Amino acid sequence: MAQMLLTFLTRVKPDKLDELRGILDNDIAANLLDNPYLPFPSLTRLHFASLFLDEGTTYGSYLVFENNFDGPLDDYLAELYTQAAPGLHRIYGCCLDYTAASAADREGILAYLRKHIVRPNAYHIGNPGRSVARTLRESGLRDRLESFLDDFVRAEPSGQQPGLIRKKVQDFIRDEPESAWVAQAEPRQTRREWFTPRLKLGLLIVAAFLLLPILIPVAIIWAVVLRYKEKRDPVPDKFDDIVRRVGGLVEREDRTHVVQNHLAHMTVLKPGLFRRCTLWLVLWLVNFVARTSDKGKLSGIPSIHYAHWSMIDNGRRLLFVSNFDGSWENYLDDFIDKASYGLTAVWSNTQHFPRTFFLFGQGADDGSRFKAWARDKQVYTNVWYCAYPSLTVETIDNNSDIREQLYAAADESAAREWLWRF
Amino acid sequence: MVELKPEDMKDIQGFVMSGYAHLPCVSYQMLSVVNATAARGWLRNLVSAVTTSEGKQDISSLNVALTYHGLTALGLETSALESFSRPFIEGMATPHRSRILGDNNDDNTPDKWDWGGNNSEPIDILLLLFAQDEPTLDSVIKDQQAKYQTGGLAKVVALGAGRQPDIHEHFGFADGLGQPAIEGTFQTKDAPAGNVIKAGEMLLSYINDYGKPAESPMVSLASDRNGLLPEPPPLTESNSAQPATRDLGRNGSYLVFRQLAQHVARFCQFLEEATLQPDGQLDPAASTKLAAKFVGRWQSGAPLVMSPDADNPDLAKADDFAYRDIDDRGFKCPIGSHIRRSNPRDSLGPTAAKAKVTANRHRILRRGRSYGDRPKDRLVDDGVARGLHFLCLNSDIERQFEFVQQTWCNNPVFGGLNGEVDPLVGNLTRGDEIFTVQADPLRTRVHNLERFVTVKGGAYFFLPSMSALRYLAAL
Repeated sequence: MAQMLLTFLTRVKPDKLDELRGILDNDIAANLLDNPYLPFPSLTRLHFASLFLDEGTTYGSYLVFENNFDGPLDDYLAELYTQAAPGLHRIYGCCLDYTAASAADREGILAYLRKHIVRPNAYHIGNPGRSVARTLRESGLRDRLESFLDDFVRAEPSGQQPGLIRKKVQDFIRDEPESAWVAQAEPRQTRREWFTPRLKLGLLIVAAFLLLPILIPVAIIWAVVLRYKEKRDPVPDKFDDIVRRVGGLVEREDRTHVVQNHLAHMTVLKPGLFRRCTLWLVLWLVNFVARTSDKGKLSGIPSIHYAHWSMIDNGRRLLFVSNFDGSWENYLDDFIDKASYGLTAVWSNTQHFPRTFFLFGQGADDGSRFKAWARDKQVYTNVWYCAYPSLTVETIDNNSDIREQLYAAADESAAREWLWRF
Repeated sequence: MVELKPEDMKDIQGFVMSGYAHLPCVSYQMLSVVNATAARGWLRNLVSAVTTSEGKQDISSLNVALTYHGLTALGLETSALESFSRPFIEGMATPHRSRILGDNNDDNTPDKWDWGGNNSEPIDILLLLFAQDEPTLDSVIKDQQAKYQTGGLAKVVALGAGRQPDIHEHFGFADGLGQPAIEGTFQTKDAPAGNVIKAGEMLLSYINDYGKPAESPMVSLASDRNGLLPEPPPLTESNSAQPATRDLGRNGSYLVFRQLAQHVARFCQFLEEATLQPDGQLDPAASTKLAAKFVGRWQSGAPLVMSPDADNPDLAKADDFAYRDIDDRGFKCPIGSHIRRSNPRDSLGPTAAKAKVTANRHRILRRGRSYGDRPKDRLVDDGVARGLHFLCLNSDIERQFEFVQQTWCNNPVFGGLNGEVDPLVGNLTRGDEIFTVQADPLRTRVHNLERFVTVKGGAYFFLPSMSALRYLAAL
């Protein structure tokens, strides 16, 4: 079953905000893998999760609980309840409209969670079809193969043919009883999972073509209105208090030897229905394109595990969460250098974004201002968990390639290329 | 392209344009402000002795830089202090910075630093003194000491780099190669095109690689009573209210200083043991080659991508090379080697051209010097302190120096690697530290790397323009 992404979005009771922050920061984040609230490692379907507070806005204070897991939803929720009922009860007891009487009220807690699910308008998955279990299994296999090859190099320093080396690796794995799964076929996507989004994208293009006579005048009017607006949108040169704010944000960054990081980001849309419709449409299109990405790249960026864009508060705000590889600076550089059109088209509909030219142009090209804007809108991530903190999107793919091609038919040159993967 | 004007060159401290290779003797005097009024008077007198980028001095040179603490001590107004960049304000020793720079292990922790750390006296001012020989340096030091001691300043620590016989650092490799050249200056004369960077990558307020003026600290118009400072660069967004300011940063830069102790015996012993032949015999050629694989250049400086099998002194200064076409897989120069990490050139990214653009946004001008005598026997730990005073210049510490250290050198998954960091300056903390030497068909992994380099101190400085020095002296 494919991976799923969603957030539980709940409003915090004003008098419980401090208590909840304490639970998140002191009880959970400080003991991430072993806390009495959310025993993350016991959630066998969970890839990445985060909890953070969006505090004191005109919309009140929110608790956002981000989940990226192996579907189906019912199974995930069942496991979440079984493993974490008392913790969920304490956490959501701090939120509005929560009525479950006790942790034993299974129906009450699950109904509350379901009611507060926000499904993203657009999302990205870096390693489609790789479950948590498969990711960990293949990573373990890679480690064993690396050790085997270390011994091999030590014993027979040079002069071996690639095919022969590969043969020895195959024999080694075949002899391991615990590695029987390696040979079993495990496609990353079913044919249908691969085909459906492409068919939809194709149909969309055909439909757009057929509707051109209507779309062209609409687009012209839209472009004129857009240009009028984007020339007049206020763009600040400086953000207040940015040094102190960023100082707080980076406290949580780069905990895992800089392999992975989390970004939570909340922006307010520019006023008016025009921007709301534009953003909705852009995200709808982004999602279409993202569904056809099976190489793990989002607009050319190879380092995003899971990302969601969700329009919340009746489309007045945009929530973005991302679980990415490398440093924040590098991630933002990638945005600027590789994906500036796409992300400018999304975020230029939100306040304070650097000035744009016809929705896509300029904007993020203004590197320093774009980074200052991104930091200004970033929300402190109170709790962040990953089931495999030392693996990148690229490594996970490489591990899958190593496994999938271990027994595949290969001539000398294919065997050689396979060995280059180590 | 805009040429820097002669009046700007007169305003820029000489250390930006030159590492003073003709002046082999150095002393770095770290000072603290005891009396602000007296210190401003001292600075006023010092300005005329500061070497500018126009006035090359044959016998000795002097430059001066300040920390955030120092600017505060001199009495710079709060709004101006707050307009400096975040790393400079916070300093090098914050917990987050320790994580990204690799200073969060027992050896490197700022808690143990000799200077600039959490348990040492704050540094306010750095006086950089360069001289052609030891006697000249001694007399310059004596002269300057007499002046600052009566000028409201006290010495915190003085670091001597001493005279080194050549440009090779203590592990034996030619250092200071592969520098970027600032567009619009004489530095571009012999530089490969790919090494030319916008002036705003080094000098504040100049146009940077994004086509925008590099962020620069500003003072209030009222505080610039003598009209010493230039106007700020025009704002790109005219619709936001702009207080009347003057530009304190123009023609200045940020100076990063890290003292890196090098454990030469540990390094050489490790190389010997890692390359022992099966029968236990030493293999000096393999040992030399492994060291070159760590670095990415041979000892002469010849790059491995151009000369993969043996050193070639003819290529000692070669810098016009890239990786993608000739060594995409790292068979010649390992992906994780020090020079490939600290400047990946065209190797990271969808295309060579895009990769180069991105890599060039993270360049630094290195101005380091070795310190301590060479050991008599490189395999014996003689207990003598030696290493590298790593100094570099950049206009955006976060995007340049810190990025290189964090995203490239300390990144365990750099360029598709799997759990290893820069063998020289990386944060080796995980127990079994590995280094992969890619080869065709099969790589070799070197295990159990030790920490060959230890950080002994560090700080971020602002290297002001001459006008900014005059402004600070007149506060």
